[in-house]
Amino acid sequence: MSTLEAFKTIETSGFGRAVGGLDHLFCAGIELAHIVGMILVLSSIVLVSLRLLGVGLRNQSLTRLYRATSGFIWIGLGLLVVSGLLIFIPAATSYYPNDFFWNKFILLGLALLTHLTIYRKISQTDTPNAVAAKLTAVLSLTLWFGVAFAGRFIGFF
Amino acid sequence: MSLIEFAQLLNDSELGTALRESVYAFPIVEGLHLIGLSLSVGLILFVDLRLLGWFLVDVSVEDVMRPLRPWLLGGFAVTIVTGILLFVAAAAKIMLLPVFIFKLLFIVLAGINAWWFEYRWGRRVDEWGDQSGLPQGVRIAGFTSLALWSLVVIAGRLIPYLSYE
Repeated sequence: MSTLEAFKTIETSGFGRAVGGLDHLFCAGIELAHIVGMILVLSSIVLVSLRLLGVGLRNQSLTRLYRATSGFIWIGLGLLVVSGLLIFIPAATSYYPNDFFWNKFILLGLALLTHLTIYRKISQTDTPNAVAAKLTAVLSLTLWFGVAFAGRFIGFF
Repeated sequence: MSLIEFAQLLNDSELGTALRESVYAFPIVEGLHLIGLSLSVGLILFVDLRLLGWFLVDVSVEDVMRPLRPWLLGGFAVTIVTGILLFVAAAAKIMLLPVFIFKLLFIVLAGINAWWFEYRWGRRVDEWGDQSGLPQGVRIAGFTSLALWSLVVIAGRLIPYLSYE
C-alpha cells in the first residue's frame, strides 16, 4: 500500500470520520492543546538554551535546569502528538501534497534526534565545553522553531 | 471617525494589504508572533511557577526573575509588534469581534497585575524572595498571571476561528 493509499484509509476510517465530524469549537480545543504543548516544549528549550549560551539563568546549574524542564517537555510532546494526530487523521490526504507537512516531520525527527543525543549529553555537566554548548543551543533552537514555523506554514499552502 | 471606519482604514492601507496579499509575509509574521509568545508567555510561565513555589524552589525569586527579565521584555516587544501587524492585516474582520476585545481586555488585566506585583512586591524582592513559603499576595499574583496569559492565548487562538468573513 502506498503512503497516499494509507492516508486515504486513515482519513476514511470510522475514527477519521468521527473526528472530522466534530464541532468547530472542539477543533479549536484540539488546536489549543497543540499550542499549549508547543509553548511547554519551546519555552523549556529556550530556558535551557539560554543557559547553554551563557545567558538567562546562567548562575543556575545546567543539569538542574535540564532536569527541571524535562517533565514539561515530555508533557508538551504528549499534548502535541495526541492533538497532532487528531488534526491529521480526518484530513490526512490533504496533507500528502503539502511540502511543509513533510518538511515539518523531517525537522521534527532531527529535533528529537538532537534532543536525545547531543542536548542530553551536553546537559550532564554544569561546565560543558563552551563552544559545544553554544552550538547545541543554536541547533536545538533552530530545529524546534523550524518545526513550529513549518507547522504554521502547512495551514497556508 | 467610527471604530469600524478606522479598522477599514487600516485594513485597506498599503501595509495591511501587502501583508494580506503577500504569500509569505503573513505566515512569517505569525511565526514571529509565536516565537515572541515562547519568549514572553513561555518564560513568564516559569517565573509564575516559581512564585507559586512549584519550580526551582530553592533558588531565590530575584535570581530567577532578574536574569530572565530582559528576555521576557524582548519577547513581549516582538509579540506586540507582530501582533499590531497581524491586526492591521485583519482589522476590518476582527475590530468588533468579541473574542478579540476579550483578548485585549485580558492583556490589559495581565499588565495591571504585573504592574501591581512590581509595585507591591517586586521592588522589595530581596526581603521575601528566598523564604521557603512565599507571601500570599505573591502567590496570588503568580496564579493570576498564569490564568490571564492562558486566557490571552486561548482568545488569540479563537480569533481566526470566529472572525467574520
